[in-house]
Amino acid sequence: MASYSVKDLTFTYPNGASPALDSVSFDAAEGEFLLVIGRSGCGKSTLLRHLKTVLAPHGERTGDVLFSGAPLSSVGEREQAARIGFVFQHPDDQIVTDKVWHELAFGLESLGTDREVMRLRVAEMASYFGIEELFDRSVAELSGGQKQLLNLASVMALNPDVLILDEPTSQLDPIAAFDFLSTVKRLNTELGITVILSEHRLEEAMPFADRVIVMEGGRIEVCGGPREAALKLYETSSPMFRAMPTAARIGCALGMTAPLPLTVNEGRAALRALGLEKKLLPAAEAPRHAETPAVEAKGLFFRYEKDGCDVLKGLDIKLYPGEIYGLVGGNGAGKSTLLSVLSGVSVPYRGKLYINGERKKAAFGAFEERVSMLHQDPRTLFSADTVADDLKKAAYGRGGGNEDERISEAVRLMDIEDLLGRHPYDLSGGEQQRAAIAKVLLTEPRVLLLDEPTKGMDASIKEVFGRKLLELKKAGLAILLVSHDIEFCAEYADRAGFMFDGAIASENTAREFFCENTFYTTAANRTARDVYRNALLTGEVIGLARKEG
Amino acid sequence: MRRDAFHTVHPAVDLAFFLFVMLITAFVLHPAVTGISLAAALTYAICLKGRKTLRLCLTFVLPVVVIVAVFNPLFNHAGTTVLFYMKNGNAVTMEAVLYGAVSACMFAALILWCSCLTAVMTSDKYVYLFGRAIPTLSLVFSMVLRFVPRLFARIKLVSEAQKSVAPSFGKSPIKAASHGLSVLSATVTWALESAVTVSDSMHSRGYGLPGRTSFPLFRFDRRDAVLGISMLVCFALSAAAMATGHIRFRFYPSVKYSPADALSLIGYAAFLILCITPLLLNIWERASLARALGSGSFSKKTADGG
Repeated sequence: MASYSVKDLTFTYPNGASPALDSVSFDAAEGEFLLVIGRSGCGKSTLLRHLKTVLAPHGERTGDVLFSGAPLSSVGEREQAARIGFVFQHPDDQIVTDKVWHELAFGLESLGTDREVMRLRVAEMASYFGIEELFDRSVAELSGGQKQLLNLASVMALNPDVLILDEPTSQLDPIAAFDFLSTVKRLNTELGITVILSEHRLEEAMPFADRVIVMEGGRIEVCGGPREAALKLYETSSPMFRAMPTAARIGCALGMTAPLPLTVNEGRAALRALGLEKKLLPAAEAPRHAETPAVEAKGLFFRYEKDGCDVLKGLDIKLYPGEIYGLVGGNGAGKSTLLSVLSGVSVPYRGKLYINGERKKAAFGAFEERVSMLHQDPRTLFSADTVADDLKKAAYGRGGGNEDERISEAVRLMDIEDLLGRHPYDLSGGEQQRAAIAKVLLTEPRVLLLDEPTKGMDASIKEVFGRKLLELKKAGLAILLVSHDIEFCAEYADRAGFMFDGAIASENTAREFFCENTFYTTAANRTARDVYRNALLTGEVIGLARKEG
Repeated sequence: MRRDAFHTVHPAVDLAFFLFVMLITAFVLHPAVTGISLAAALTYAICLKGRKTLRLCLTFVLPVVVIVAVFNPLFNHAGTTVLFYMKNGNAVTMEAVLYGAVSACMFAALILWCSCLTAVMTSDKYVYLFGRAIPTLSLVFSMVLRFVPRLFARIKLVSEAQKSVAPSFGKSPIKAASHGLSVLSATVTWALESAVTVSDSMHSRGYGLPGRTSFPLFRFDRRDAVLGISMLVCFALSAAAMATGHIRFRFYPSVKYSPADALSLIGYAAFLILCITPLLLNIWERASLARALGSGSFSKKTADGG
């Protein structure tokens, strides 16, 4: 029997001009891994929320949602709480209690589970998810990835039949994200739990899925196996095709469709079968820099506590006007600390820091030095009720007249005209990021420090965002892009560096840097590196291969 | 905090111990009883917190002791044995000196027991004990403990982030206030926003259904039972000896105390055992550990030899 059967579901939010869901119909078989994808605002979240009564949004609704053959609304709240597990996007916001053990037990406590059963289930979950050693810890000590695993474990403690996950990895780094998705897949294969997952990271998630549902404008555009769905998107030249795994994109473009490769490994095999000739892209000429770097650090040492360990250990970095520098590296390598030193919040105890050629010895005002730092959560920057008011505040803070002109320039550059009247918190992640950058631009910065700007953005929004960055670069800003998003850095950065153990371990032009790495490089490079050693982007691989054919 | 065996017993036993000991210490002013309590409290506090206890003693306990011990004879002139007369003609009596010294020790003992109590009774133990009666209370407590540090971390984050878009306020109080207001507004909006997700997450996991229970973080085992009963017996014996006048000390007008008899000796012994229960438990645990590990390494040695 099908886990879920959705028939002709149409839903309109109050005051909504058009339906958020438009006659959506699909079945989820028991034990199936169903992937729901689509651009931001396509109705994925709205659809997932309709699969659990307590989460369903208010509005006008027609059509049926059947759960195990019965209308969902007739299934009691207690039964739904236990049988339908739901994991949300933000790892931090959905944690209720202060201790790991208490969070694991929360659902069981709510259902009034017997104490012995509760003890067993909690113990079982802690060991299955490998979080035994965290059991007594305070939740605040966990990393983002551990928090999201805890959220999954505390939902699994209720022993659900179905697991619904709404973009669960959008706030995680790639390694934690892959861990999380693998755990979900393991629950699916080992326990036969039905999984309904909405996700932006298709490179990793697509190979796990049994079926993919592609949504666009509240409708189901394509529904089928992952390879079939990718091909159909290619044939209809849907904008969602850009989000497909690299191997599938290369495979479609080169006609390697029997079967279409999905993973890097399959892609390599398919390319090998084509018997292509080895080729190199011409090396980019060495970038020409202005004489004085906008920011220069020489041998920085920094620690948070007197008796603590050094977090920065002799770090050197130079950022020039008119360039984008991509900085990658694992968690805990000191990337956030570096940003806090460069923006004048933390003071290094050894080493020299120059901003526009001027030595800085103490904490300095980022605003006065025209260094702007954008935290990975853009919401930290908003303080007014509409985007327009927020921008005004920033523009008048810098002073110097012609505020309205500068605002309209920033609005044009970041393309946010239609967002001006809205509350910053009502925007999507990508829109928030653009509104925050517009605000920062009004302070007329020379240096822009971006911390994980593409977190939670889907492929098409990332593309728009990348183009905006290139325009800022042309305007002469020095941009430091600290990111886990290797594909994005490879596409837009001029130079790139790898941060490890408090220092820059290696640094080069972006192309040379990434094609030298084995893991820290793009999926396209990993797929095609045997034939095209220095091709980084999917388009480059396809271009080189086509020229041959 | 150092490793402490008493920390691992059931919270009810922990709490009962501190209740018994502090009740007797506070209500029975007797040089021997107070002395036993002070010595045990000091030893246990040092075992628990080492150097921190010494710092507490020097900066807080000692001043209290000195003040109480010195001030009592200066302002209290009751008692019959006059030691000397002060310049204003008031007598300093031996009884008042003794009373001051003993009550100073009593205060010292109570302070030290309190410092042990806070180290042993952590928040989750209170939540466990009282949450059984009112399950929602323990949840609210836990949510507050989660939310408050998050709120402060967020304020710091927002304040740092906003430095990029607003001039530093230097010493200007008006600019500082305006910065503070911006930070507050951003933080409140964030808090409301994340409250919506928390509420969804709670309801999604069945919050609000009738019949809520709470997770049994602690187990009441045989050791807890033995400890509990022995503590109860000790408390009853010493309290009986004190109530029936076999352990009694009168300070005013002249010092008078009950003679030592069988029942008073039993009472003293019972109180001593009660006070050093945590220490005894620790010694017993160390000894069994040493024995277990010792024999373990012995068998390992023979295994290696063979």
